[in-house]
Amino acid sequence: MEKRLWFSIVSAAIGVGLIIAASATAAPSAQHPAKVVKAAAGGTLVTELNSDVDYTDPQLTYYVPSWEMQYATACKLMNYPDKEASQGGGEVQPEVAAAFPIVSKDGKTYTFTVKPGFKFSDGSAVTSANFKMAIDRLSQPKLASSTSFLGSDIIVGMQDVLDGKASSVSGVTAKGNKLAIKLTHAAPDLLARLATPPFQAITASLAGNHDPAGVNTYASCGPYYYAARTPNRSIKIHRNTCYKGPRPHHVDTIQVNVGNSPDVIYQNVVKGTTDYAEDGVTPTLYAGIAQKYGVNKKQFFTRPELEIDYLALNHDPGRLFHNNPQLAKAVNYAVDRHAYLAQRGFLAGVRTNRILPPGMGGVTKATEVLKNGYPIKAPNAKKAKSIAGGHTGSGKAEMWAPNSGPGPLQAQVVQYNLKQIGVDVTIKLLPRAQQFVTARNRAQATYDINWSAWGADYNDPFDFINILLDGTSIGPSANNNDAYYDSAKFNAQMHKAALIAPGANRNAAYQALDKAMMAEDPPWVPILNRANRLFVSSHFGCFIYNPVAEVDLAAACKK
Amino acid sequence: MGRYVVRRLLWAVVLFVAVTMITYVIFFVIPADPAVLAAGRSARPADVARVRHYLGLDHSVPYQYGLFLKRLIVDQSLGRSFVNRRAVNSMVGQAAPVTASLVFGGAILWMLLAIPIGVLSALRPRSLLDRAAMVFVLIGISMPVVVIGLILQYVFGFKWNVLPNAGYCDVINPPLGATCGGPAEWFTHMILPWVTFAILFTAIYVRMIRSNVMDTLGEDYVRTAWAKGAPGARVMTRHVLRYALLPVVTMLGMDIAIALGGAIFTEYIFGLPGLGRLAVQSLMSFDLPTIEGVVVFATLCIIILNLVVDVLYAFIDPRIRLE
Repeated sequence: MEKRLWFSIVSAAIGVGLIIAASATAAPSAQHPAKVVKAAAGGTLVTELNSDVDYTDPQLTYYVPSWEMQYATACKLMNYPDKEASQGGGEVQPEVAAAFPIVSKDGKTYTFTVKPGFKFSDGSAVTSANFKMAIDRLSQPKLASSTSFLGSDIIVGMQDVLDGKASSVSGVTAKGNKLAIKLTHAAPDLLARLATPPFQAITASLAGNHDPAGVNTYASCGPYYYAARTPNRSIKIHRNTCYKGPRPHHVDTIQVNVGNSPDVIYQNVVKGTTDYAEDGVTPTLYAGIAQKYGVNKKQFFTRPELEIDYLALNHDPGRLFHNNPQLAKAVNYAVDRHAYLAQRGFLAGVRTNRILPPGMGGVTKATEVLKNGYPIKAPNAKKAKSIAGGHTGSGKAEMWAPNSGPGPLQAQVVQYNLKQIGVDVTIKLLPRAQQFVTARNRAQATYDINWSAWGADYNDPFDFINILLDGTSIGPSANNNDAYYDSAKFNAQMHKAALIAPGANRNAAYQALDKAMMAEDPPWVPILNRANRLFVSSHFGCFIYNPVAEVDLAAACKK
Repeated sequence: MGRYVVRRLLWAVVLFVAVTMITYVIFFVIPADPAVLAAGRSARPADVARVRHYLGLDHSVPYQYGLFLKRLIVDQSLGRSFVNRRAVNSMVGQAAPVTASLVFGGAILWMLLAIPIGVLSALRPRSLLDRAAMVFVLIGISMPVVVIGLILQYVFGFKWNVLPNAGYCDVINPPLGATCGGPAEWFTHMILPWVTFAILFTAIYVRMIRSNVMDTLGEDYVRTAWAKGAPGARVMTRHVLRYALLPVVTMLGMDIAIALGGAIFTEYIFGLPGLGRLAVQSLMSFDLPTIEGVVVFATLCIIILNLVVDVLYAFIDPRIRLE
């Protein structure tokens, strides 16, 4: 026992010594992050994520921050220019394609000519075959990509590969510098779809890799490429020295650190050891940040997202809003959009009363609301009550909302507002994942009102109006139409609008649909379009926010 | 001893099966289809069906559980994550050393603090030191770990900027893309998490040691030792501490075992990619294989450390005979 005691005493002494030593070395350690930040041209741009991305693999990734990075690493046939929304950043343009494609008369065949000069980070040249490889890989059943939906409904042969009936997508052919894509039906939103990351050119070695866990690093043909990734820890993106294209590329390395809490990320941006809080900081800090740094001046910026927060009004038989447009209108008058938005924190977005978000389908300004009478400043309880009179059914409604974030408080706002028109709302709070899954199952979707939000996969009104409100796509499960809105008249108009070529006519058709649906039988209570609140360090320069890709990491530079 | 260990191991198997089975059942009682989540928000029913087949969710729950056990026993595999499809073995394997760093470092710290303070408080009851120690105990027990962590982080990591405010550096072989690594950086990055993690336990252990030492000091055999003129240090080490610290060994084993399952709050505050954070992430995303992976690991830690403690207990106190 004496020996054990001596051992304990010696261990204790070593422990105390180590603590003292650590304290002594603490000061230089605190300077450690400064090693990461290089002020010189080139250098390293340090960004931080609270939660890791799902994948870095181009055919698997589907998270917003990941697509933001992919904008810096990928080269695509069509892409969005490195510009702000006001300068046309939301307009899809040829990137590796030499020009806009030649479209057959029936609108079902698109022929692209691939420009020479683009190279992968491993030095190999980009050809039309590399784009076919991407579509083939996206369709592989073994890969089981959750982004295959972006092409499987329109590209000939893609579903066959997904079903294991073929190994290559028959509707896509690459010959020389030509790439032809055959569609099952005319889909003018193809160009916007091709501007999403899954359709970027990939190398032959990646094309042959069907590991469902994806790859962490690979050669890519954009201005940057993924050089290293340790899941849940960090991602390192290096400059593609073989890139000779026109896109900007300033810093040598983009270092993405993963896992710190939003509070710590805020502290690191203030200290300057992190340049950009990629998935934001603690929402309650934004008011102080705006006060300290100003808004849209030096370090704090807000930009609209292609997104909408809405209340889905369940139109299914047996639910309160079935064949009840009067009540749907009344609820649109009754809900206090200002109070609802306020629960998200300072400068969290703008109020709206329309389906399409600003930046999409010709809607240009964030403040461009429909003159449909639905108030965005304050609720009009009096009018709501007069419209609702006699249409409140049982007078009882069930509302589903997430049990975290602003969801519970927003549900209370709705509960209070609807009480004013004689509807008693029972709130059911669920974990967001559970709410999302259950609301998509028609038999389980027993709500009358569902807290909901939707962000665009690509910049085309089809991805909002058809995907969310086309009643012909409603099935027993996997429904995005959580209002279970099924109007024969509007379904036909949606199908018609989907066939119009991109441009003013298409935008006008979708805007008219937006207006008509909201006026005649509102499927939702559109409430707000979220804003991206972007906090960057004093070292962050060359700030460009692309309305689709978000912060342009390729264009970013260090001051 | 051998028969005792075998008997405990058999019980451990029963416990292990029960815990993993209960986790499975709870998971499937919650009406959230992981196939829909994994298929992505825009997936059509056919896509969801394909993903369900890929994940093996198109089988019955008992079949899936049987498959899980078979994979675990035959292939030593915990399967793949539903969310990112990474091998759960690798995810748990990467997270476990981080949690172990936190827990073992924290345990050393709390024992280094708790033993001297507890003993001195017991030797001088109602002295200034004793009262100060009790104030510390009260604060340590009543203040949530989250608050302590945030205060330490803000003051030392941000305001005074004398210690890293968060993050983890590997002691050896930092992964690709890491911005730090090596023993010195590992140590400095762990100081605040260790202190945060240790405060609560230090407070509990100080109280426990003080009480045990005071009780033991009142025992007849200790009085006899004093009366025989034995030196103070000898009485304290051979007669008092030896028995006063016996329950501490048991507690230490249990506390370390439980904490190895994930020190959630401390890991979250300081951005440590350990098991606690992994557990929270997988719960939020209904990622059953990862949840099971963390449960299996935590269960094994508890079973093994309990066994070690029992054996150690008998070794320290010859009065205890396991058989």
